[in-house]
Amino acid sequence: MVEEVIGLEQVNAGTKKYRPRLELFSATVKSFVSNKAAVIGAVITFIYFAIAIIDTVAPSVFGIPSGEYTDLGYYSKHISPVETFGIFSPGTSHGFKYLLGGTIFNYPLLPAMFASLKFDLGYSVLIVGVGALVGSAIGVTAGYLGRWADEFMMRVTDVFFSVPFLILAIAFSTIFGHDMLSAVYALLIIWWPIYARLSRSLALSTKSLNYVEAATAAGSSKVRNIFYHVFPNVLSPIFVQISLDLGSIILIFATLSFLGITNLPYSFPELGALISDGDNFVTSFIPLPGFHLIWWPLIIPGFFLLIFTVSINLFGDGMRDALDPKLRK
Amino acid sequence: MELKYFIIRRALVIIPTLMGLTILTFLLLWAYGPNLVAAGFESEKYHNVAAALAAQGFNFSDPIGTYFSYLAHLFTGNWGTINQPISAKTLTAVEIFFPNTIQLAIAATIVSVIIAIPLGTYIGARPNSPADQAGRIFSLSGYALPAFWLAYVLIILFGKKVGVVPYLNIFPYDGNGSLNVSSPIFNNFHVSTPTHILLIDALIAGDIPLFESAFMHLILPVATLTYGILAGILRFIRAGMVDASNQEFVKTARAKGVPEKTVIKKHIRKNALLPTVTVLGLLVSSLLGGVVTVEYVFDYLGIGYLAVYTAEATQVWGILVLTFIFGIILMITNLIVDVIYAFLDPRIRY
Repeated sequence: MVEEVIGLEQVNAGTKKYRPRLELFSATVKSFVSNKAAVIGAVITFIYFAIAIIDTVAPSVFGIPSGEYTDLGYYSKHISPVETFGIFSPGTSHGFKYLLGGTIFNYPLLPAMFASLKFDLGYSVLIVGVGALVGSAIGVTAGYLGRWADEFMMRVTDVFFSVPFLILAIAFSTIFGHDMLSAVYALLIIWWPIYARLSRSLALSTKSLNYVEAATAAGSSKVRNIFYHVFPNVLSPIFVQISLDLGSIILIFATLSFLGITNLPYSFPELGALISDGDNFVTSFIPLPGFHLIWWPLIIPGFFLLIFTVSINLFGDGMRDALDPKLRK
Repeated sequence: MELKYFIIRRALVIIPTLMGLTILTFLLLWAYGPNLVAAGFESEKYHNVAAALAAQGFNFSDPIGTYFSYLAHLFTGNWGTINQPISAKTLTAVEIFFPNTIQLAIAATIVSVIIAIPLGTYIGARPNSPADQAGRIFSLSGYALPAFWLAYVLIILFGKKVGVVPYLNIFPYDGNGSLNVSSPIFNNFHVSTPTHILLIDALIAGDIPLFESAFMHLILPVATLTYGILAGILRFIRAGMVDASNQEFVKTARAKGVPEKTVIKKHIRKNALLPTVTVLGLLVSSLLGGVVTVEYVFDYLGIGYLAVYTAEATQVWGILVLTFIFGIILMITNLIVDVIYAFLDPRIRY
């Protein structure tokens, strides 16, 4: 006992100050950086977010004024009759805007994809953020209170998990009509149960730990216990879940547009809608001599989406490994 | 505990979830409002919407009473009518479209299990080898790929009339549209009779060219669905293999001189496949989600196709009933999975 105390003082009196939180943090960062795939994923994710932010703040950077995304609005204002004759293919010399060619109505594909990020990423972050906040608040409270609150929450989340997410999203978005916001509302409603379940299980394992009991013994109230002692300790797995979920939510969001549930106008900058525009060229293609398949309006936006989902998954996996001390070398 | 009692107890757990699902869909119905709900019940025959609804026992100022009439409608199959994609009673539409989805789902499950078990065994027995890395990338892409986009990539590569490479345009992709619908086995809605499963119906009618055509039509949808499910199973089998190969009995088997092949097959794989059964429920969930997009892209007349078109036209009875049906399928699958697992692993029952 005495020796232990002396040992601690020696550490404190040493040249290097003993700062456990900082050390833990730097170990986490070190572990993350050593994972090359995760770093690449993080960098690409960062680039996507940067594009989305730049396109929101200064849309003219990418050569397209904002607010002209309706179907014929852009078409009539910016495209001369000569240009409507054909859809530009990628790499032809029509300037940076047409670097990746044009899509339906010869709308430039590259700026459309960049512009779509602000909707896709923006709404995905909103949905996951709100879902994580609400869900984990509900989950931690239910897990900590236990008994009927816990039972009730579990039964409610059971119902949400009993239907595939895509079907639920389709069903809920039809309540709010058929536009992009309806999909957002629908996903906001159905995305909290994942976090409620996750944080409940974490709260259950945390609440029986000694330090929470110590806090209770020291006179900490239930509310204080929940938000001050239990909540911070369930945060890191929730952050991992958030990063992985961003990948799935953007997919579901794009799928809803693709299926026509959100009923977006032609060439609206949303990745699912862009892919849906592109499929017209493929399914109506007749292989006559002299005709070439216009594949890029379909393939390129999908690939753009794929790169993001792969990156964010790599990033999330890397973060999970880095935050889990058991996996650290 | 005996298996019998385990099954009964597990089946009883479904009841609250089922009740919850009826409440959830009822909340949806309430949110749609009287006009949309009445649209499924030939409301033009009545003076006004309220009268049309009253004839069905719905009253939008009495939630409790309406909930019970809704339950009665739900469980007796009185699901109103829809206009899109076919003009029929919702019950009829589900009846004739559902078997096609079963055909697609079963085909995808069989193909992915056939591929996943040997591949997972191979990869799991060689952790951190190049094959394992490739498997990891494959699993990751399975999660990250937009299923509808993959479907179009396959269409461009292999689709008949679309193929970029001339000799690759093999498989038709345009659903039942390009089938020989003049064949007498098709009903008014271009769905085959009597079982509504095209492959079986073609065999019953003895129409071999139709069977071949139906089989070719299945290949691209099944390939798209399989890709997503396969990634999930593969990841799980691999983890199970790595887990199982660290067990003591594996070391014992190797120490007593059991050949490596037998160790992998009998000692490791048998134990690795056991927990894999539990993810099957999860896979059915992703399968049901995947069915929606795949059927939409390939114009495949199944309940996923039905769900998209009813939702696009906001036909509430179609949406409510399909949400309910998808939920029930998932619940029953989870029940079956749990029972199988309890049967395979007696520890679960206690």
